[in-house]
Amino acid sequence: MMTIHVDTKNEALSTEAALAHCSAPGHGAADLFIGRVRDLNQGRAVNAVSYDLHPLLCCNVFREICEEARAEWGEALHFWLEHRQGRLAVGDDSVVVAVSSPHRDESFKACRYLVEQMKHRAPIWKQEHYVDGDSAWVQGHALCSHG
Amino acid sequence: MTRKIDVKLYGAFRQYSPNKSVTVSLPAEATVSSLRQAFAEQFDDDNARALLKASAFATDEAVLDEQEPVPSDKPLSILPPVCGG
Repeated sequence: MMTIHVDTKNEALSTEAALAHCSAPGHGAADLFIGRVRDLNQGRAVNAVSYDLHPLLCCNVFREICEEARAEWGEALHFWLEHRQGRLAVGDDSVVVAVSSPHRDESFKACRYLVEQMKHRAPIWKQEHYVDGDSAWVQGHALCSHG
Repeated sequence: MTRKIDVKLYGAFRQYSPNKSVTVSLPAEATVSSLRQAFAEQFDDDNARALLKASAFATDEAVLDEQEPVPSDKPLSILPPVCGG
C-alpha cells in the first residue's frame, strides 16, 4: 500500500477516504484537518473563493512535504493531502489533510507541518468574491528568492 | 539563434492575458533571469511588473533558479505568491 496519497480535485473532497487511507492496525492515532471557505476576510464579506492551482507541480510539492514529514516523524506514518480547485462557496471544504501514526504526538505534529508547508510552498492561488460584487486575488507567499 | 517560449499564467497573472499564456523570444542559451526580463517587456502595467518581481518561473517539476538555463523541452509557468488552504 502506498502510504502517501496526494491529489488535486475538481469535485468535493472526501474526509471518509482520507481517514480510511490513514489507518493501520498499528496506528493508535489519526489527525484530520479540513480547511474551509470563510465568509469574512480582512473585514470584507466573502461569498465564494475561486482556487487556481498548477496540478502537476502541486502534487510534486505535496509529495515532497509528506516525505519530509515521514523523514522527521517516522516511516510508519500514513499521509493524505488533497486540495480543491475551481469556485467554492462559503463553508465548502478547500483542503483535507490527514495523518495517522502509532502514537498521537507524531500525527499532531506531522499534520500541522503538512498544512503550514502546503500554505507556503504549494502553487495554489485564491481569488475572493465579495458580497458587494468585487473580486480580488489574495496576496500570498513568494516562491522566488531572486530579490 | 532565438526560440519562442510559451509561459503559462496562473493566479493574478491570468487577468493580463485571455490566452492564459504569454510567448516570449529568447536566445537559445538564455537563463531564467533573461526570461524574466523578456517577460517583463510584455507588460506595460506597473501592477503586472510588481507582481512579476515577487513571482517565480517553474517547470511542471520544480521552481527554477535565476541563473539556471531556460529548459528547452519542458512547459514553463510563472507562479505568483501562493496562498493555498
